[in-house]
Amino acid sequence: MNHQNQLLHLQDVINRRSFLSNGAGGLGLAALAGLSSSDAKGDQATRNAGGLSDLPHMAAKAKRVIYLFQSGAPSQMELFDYKPTLEKYRGENLPDSIRNGQRLTGMSSGQATFPVAPSIFKFSKKGKCGADWSELMPFTGELVDELAIVRSMNTEAINHDPAITFFQTGNQLPGRPSIGSWLAYGLGSENQDLPAYVVLTSKGTGRTDDQPLYDRLWGSGFLPTQYQGVKFRNAGDPVLYLSNPPGVDRDLRRAMLDEVRDLNEQKLSHSGDPEITTRIAQYEMAFRMQTSVPELANVKSEPQHILDLYGPEVNMPGKYAANCLLARRLAERGVRFIQLFHMGWDHHGNLPNALRGQCKDTDQPTAALIQDLKQHGLLDDTLIIWGGEFGRTVYTQGALTESYGRDHHPRCFSLFLAGGGIKPGVTHGETDDYCYNIVKDSVHVRDLHATILHQLGIDHERFTYPFNGLDAKLTGVEPARVVTEILA
Amino acid sequence: MLQHFQFFPILCLYWASGFQFAFADEKIDFNRDVRPILSDKCLTCHGADPKHVEAGLRLDLSESAFAKLESSKQAIVPNHPDDSELIRRIRLPANDELRMPPVRSHKNLSSAEIEILERWIAQGAEYKKHWAFVPPVRPSVPPASQQWSVNDIDALVFAKLKSQSLSPSPEATRETLIRRASLDLTGLPPSVVEVEAFVKDSRPTSIAYEKVIDRLLTSPRYAERMTMWWLDGARYADSNGFQSDDQRFMHGWRDWVLNAFDKNMPFDQFTVEQLAGDLLPEATLEQKIATGFNRNNRQNSEGGLIAEEWRIEGVIDRVEATSAVWMALTMGCARCHDHKYDPISQKEMYQFFSYFNNVPESGVASAGNTAPLIQTPGPMDVAKLKELDAAITSAQQSVQDAEGVLIPAAAEWATNIGPKLLQSTNRWRVLDGELASNGGSKLKMQADGTIQVSGKTPALDVYSLSHKATQPKKVTAIQLEAIPHASLAANGFGRKGNGNIVLGEVEAEMTTASAPDTVVPVKIAKAFADYSQANWNISASIDGNPATGWALDGLDPSKQVTRHAVFVFSEPIALDTGSRLTIRLKQESLSNHNLGLFRLSATDESEISEAILSPLPEPLVAAILVPAENRSEEQKKSIVDYYRTLSESPVARATATREAAKKTKADFERSIPTVMVMQETPQPRDCFVLVRGQYDKPGEKVTASLPSALPPLPNGAPNNRLGVAKWLVDPSHPLTARVQVNRYWELLFGTGIVKSSENFGMQSQFPSHPELLDWLATEYIRLGWDTKAMLKTILMSATYRQSSNVTPELMSRDPENRLLARGPRFRLQAELVRDNALAISGLLVEKVGGPPVRPYQPEGIWDEINVYGNLRNYKHDKDAGLYRRSMYTIWKRTSAPPNMLIFDMPGREMCVVRRSRTNTPLQALSLLNEVTYVEASRALAERMLTEGGSTGQERIRFAFQLATARKPTERELHTLLAGLERRNKSFAADPESAKKLLSVGEKKPNGDLDPLELAAYTITASVILNLDETVTKE
Repeated sequence: MNHQNQLLHLQDVINRRSFLSNGAGGLGLAALAGLSSSDAKGDQATRNAGGLSDLPHMAAKAKRVIYLFQSGAPSQMELFDYKPTLEKYRGENLPDSIRNGQRLTGMSSGQATFPVAPSIFKFSKKGKCGADWSELMPFTGELVDELAIVRSMNTEAINHDPAITFFQTGNQLPGRPSIGSWLAYGLGSENQDLPAYVVLTSKGTGRTDDQPLYDRLWGSGFLPTQYQGVKFRNAGDPVLYLSNPPGVDRDLRRAMLDEVRDLNEQKLSHSGDPEITTRIAQYEMAFRMQTSVPELANVKSEPQHILDLYGPEVNMPGKYAANCLLARRLAERGVRFIQLFHMGWDHHGNLPNALRGQCKDTDQPTAALIQDLKQHGLLDDTLIIWGGEFGRTVYTQGALTESYGRDHHPRCFSLFLAGGGIKPGVTHGETDDYCYNIVKDSVHVRDLHATILHQLGIDHERFTYPFNGLDAKLTGVEPARVVTEILA
Repeated sequence: MLQHFQFFPILCLYWASGFQFAFADEKIDFNRDVRPILSDKCLTCHGADPKHVEAGLRLDLSESAFAKLESSKQAIVPNHPDDSELIRRIRLPANDELRMPPVRSHKNLSSAEIEILERWIAQGAEYKKHWAFVPPVRPSVPPASQQWSVNDIDALVFAKLKSQSLSPSPEATRETLIRRASLDLTGLPPSVVEVEAFVKDSRPTSIAYEKVIDRLLTSPRYAERMTMWWLDGARYADSNGFQSDDQRFMHGWRDWVLNAFDKNMPFDQFTVEQLAGDLLPEATLEQKIATGFNRNNRQNSEGGLIAEEWRIEGVIDRVEATSAVWMALTMGCARCHDHKYDPISQKEMYQFFSYFNNVPESGVASAGNTAPLIQTPGPMDVAKLKELDAAITSAQQSVQDAEGVLIPAAAEWATNIGPKLLQSTNRWRVLDGELASNGGSKLKMQADGTIQVSGKTPALDVYSLSHKATQPKKVTAIQLEAIPHASLAANGFGRKGNGNIVLGEVEAEMTTASAPDTVVPVKIAKAFADYSQANWNISASIDGNPATGWALDGLDPSKQVTRHAVFVFSEPIALDTGSRLTIRLKQESLSNHNLGLFRLSATDESEISEAILSPLPEPLVAAILVPAENRSEEQKKSIVDYYRTLSESPVARATATREAAKKTKADFERSIPTVMVMQETPQPRDCFVLVRGQYDKPGEKVTASLPSALPPLPNGAPNNRLGVAKWLVDPSHPLTARVQVNRYWELLFGTGIVKSSENFGMQSQFPSHPELLDWLATEYIRLGWDTKAMLKTILMSATYRQSSNVTPELMSRDPENRLLARGPRFRLQAELVRDNALAISGLLVEKVGGPPVRPYQPEGIWDEINVYGNLRNYKHDKDAGLYRRSMYTIWKRTSAPPNMLIFDMPGREMCVVRRSRTNTPLQALSLLNEVTYVEASRALAERMLTEGGSTGQERIRFAFQLATARKPTERELHTLLAGLERRNKSFAADPESAKKLLSVGEKKPNGDLDPLELAAYTITASVILNLDETVTKE
């Protein structure tokens, strides 16, 4: 074995060692889990790129996650948590005994009364399971037998930024890794040419000036930065800096990269630093991404009946429908964590109209995604989550009018899950007559996190990373439980 | 090769569990070998947290560990591992319920760890205080190696190498040395001239090298390099960080740091001024600016937030940043409960919190800087302010002068102009009647018919006047006079706000005596005014839309004169005796734009035109009609008072000039940059332990004091922030000096002597060279905290000067170079990757400090996910701002520059003192394709063609040396030359592609050069900028 081959081989050994050591020790030496290249020995096909050797802890039900985050907080009263009893309280002040000391945001803390507003939208029983379903989401309603609806979600945060940060990282304050980064770190990628964690964003028509998102929501926090989510952009290069500069075609790029590689190898033989080997490999992966990403984003190859399934906006880049189709394409290419953020759900006023818009954006594409995954045989091992960062108050913000609005409500809200080992056709949790307090089977954000990890074969108690002297976990230090009641 | 394989797994154990060197023949050291095991595996249940002391056993205290337990067993029997219950329990099989650590803890002891505990007990189980809490003591320095030693650093490093049977690497070449030192001390590569001068310097390397170091330490680039190192811990950014993420302006503080490093401010002073400069006696402006360190925390302005919640978060952030940067402690961990590992109770955390809790702040961010803040005028600003003050003084004098001539001027006006005005046939009669306000204001008519508004100041208001006719009369139009007054807002027309008014709607209606309950609307056909603000025309006051209205630019002093508006009825109305005419002035368009002084009058003129706007009110008419000599004092006064309001009066003119001067100054003052600073409230805020760390769950009340595990306040230091700052830099403090020198070491070698440079607590990694760490710490204090001298000492060492080339054998022995048998080699930090390319290509603009700049960023980068806040619609600069050092790039926290994040720059959300260092394909894409690097490649190509000689070989050598400081080998040269020739051909065949490539970037290509050749060289330059060696310090 010549000197250089020895070095390449050593790099391989170091890679294995640093995966084993489960710490920051091998930083920069390791081929990188989130965006790793195959290593020089070429035997990587037998294992995922990166990931921890002790994962999964148990048999995984899901291989990947598609998280359809509905940013701004959809109202549970109009969508999921049917409360026919509210009609008799219409316009009445919410009793103090129900509010029971719940803090208010600065937006409604000055209100003298809290008039109860029943949903103006109708519900009907759907599917074999007979779940109550809102008229706002007819397409998804046809699939209720695939869904597990949770009506007893709750969180601690009452404003958007801390609440969405809490959902993404398990902490209200920025600085912790996002759930997708945790999974990229723990499980690595199943695809050599795509990131393990991909983010897609879309703006809603219900409220076009709605709550912002922040790059840190898919950040890696204290995990090494290669685990951060890669946001596919809606305009220009889907991945930043993906395209060659004007005047540089693929042949020229290839020739240039060969030259860089040749020179780097010459340097390696002199310096002996295995980091150079890694860099060579990363340049090769960059080159492959230049074809794999555009191929992924190009939906022209999809048959017409599939495009039709997602509805008319499937051909408009940056729309939720287009992102849903991309999500399926990412899923079938083995991307570990795919997260859509659809904005526009923050309805302090004009809620009925805004909700109509949001549901029109999302209902058909969401249903299409579930069906499409199913017909591709991907639903069984893809965990789908649909939901926002908190709920909305049963009382109106301001007066009860036809265009009423609702303030933020952390104590109870709804979301649904599907696929990935979730028990289909169940409704879990119950709220009181006012849809204000949970009366049965509370599910905290941490419980949802524990459940997601569990479906991917991870025990949330044992999935840690050393930070500031602690074994930091996604679920933090407070207790969290896997919601076994909704598992198949 | 096989050997490596066999050897490796054994070594793994040591690396995996931190950094341990307990070889079979060595004495076990409690701090190095045992504490990490106990801390990680045992203390959660047998440690300091009183809620979790299982079986009454604490393993962090020898008294407890050696005592008879409740079970009458003894956990540790010194010298007798086999009699020690601890050993018995950890040796049990994993499935045994009594096995420690228990299965449910998810912790396991490796056989190597069990062996260490056994040997430690066999050797007597000696406990030691955690090394980092014991003040450093100057170690005795072992005899130096004859051949390899410059200073004591080398002796200490050599001793460790010798114990491991390793030897140091040879000294790096001069090219490598000068590049390494230049990148470390300035963040920029050396110029070709600098490299050549050093290489050709005939003096011994030590002497020539010292000259290089001395030169670099005096460069302004040194201050920039050290400042960018400081900014991560200071969580410096240009935006507030939460939700709308508005811009803030803290570059004044950043420039203070630049200046401090440039002047080599001793680190103790650097500390005291940043933490408590405001509390120093007679604090200077600079010392106050320094305290911006602890105002760099994020702030929230989200609608509906609860202020106190976010104020508390800000204070916690200060505690975390201060304890991490100066002490490498994670005090924030004790926010919700006693610290799990370190001797910091929750109560002590809040006692320390109390020092940072007394800033007069609300918890809600303003757009821009949030109070408390301080203006930071530069010398130019101060001069300009003086000039503006002088202008105001002089204008004030002119007003007084004008007052002196006002009475004769008014009389003259009454004589000359008055009669002309009276020739107008119009007659306005004051309309009197019952006054009302629906907003609760008080309306009162005065002798001259003006109506003064006082009392409550509702945001919106409707005034009404109901006139009852005492004799039959005809009314064709009414007039409104809006009168500015010194008692009104900003000397203007409005009661509140900026002095302006908006009259939304004017309505009229009448009743007759016979049918007092039948209200008949009076239609207004047209309206005129002698002045309307742009887009706020008088016609908007009769358009039926209350949202639009008539406004007067009332905040502009030059426009503050009585204004007239006339409302013409579509048909004349006849008022019989007892009839009522009601006028309503509806001011519901804009909050706080309500009239403060006005007059309503009516006329019976049948021909109403705009000429009617000039006439005078009746009392004044009467006064003017009286011959000057016969006028009463009151009449004279009414003439003077009226004349004063006319824009042509000398007083009005002078007043307008003065107000304009004041406004100029106020505008300028607003433009002077501010910095958010620390201040103390007169009385400290009450401070409580917050139960579970929640703002709304106060527990026990506490007062400011320091954790008991650390030394007390030095003698004479006050018990406030200033005391804390002095305490941190007291030579008896065990942490500060060690933490700093360790971070300098990390900066230079890539890894600290304590690898966990952010954490020196119980869970920290044991130092690779404890004596060296203490030598450096005591040396720093001995040098009077002289940072340049400290860095020079390290850079001069033979340890630093080693070659970084590594053999496979050494790589497998020591992959992370913890033993220092070679020099450092690692990728440049994010900012320097870009700075380096700008410098090599000659694009770099070397301006120090100032407001942030906007280099290239992908289109739409700020707006894709956020339509809030004032940092939107990113447009890159067109000139110098494109080429400044990366530390000056505007940093929007929620959408930070991607080309920095990709290279591991932290998001600046919170204090980070150690970056990750990754190697990813996104980095490759950035260096290959980002406009910054494509343009830099072209600029480098231009340098090659204009400065690099006349042949391809010479030009490639030139560029290669710019990038790496060395000359390429023959083989490297051959590779690059072959590529260049290939591309010369391909671009010659495809001029269109060449043209496209050269069009990248704002800078125009050098038109004197052949575009086809330039394109070919551009790709060669890009190859050179993409080399591993170019982005690596070695």
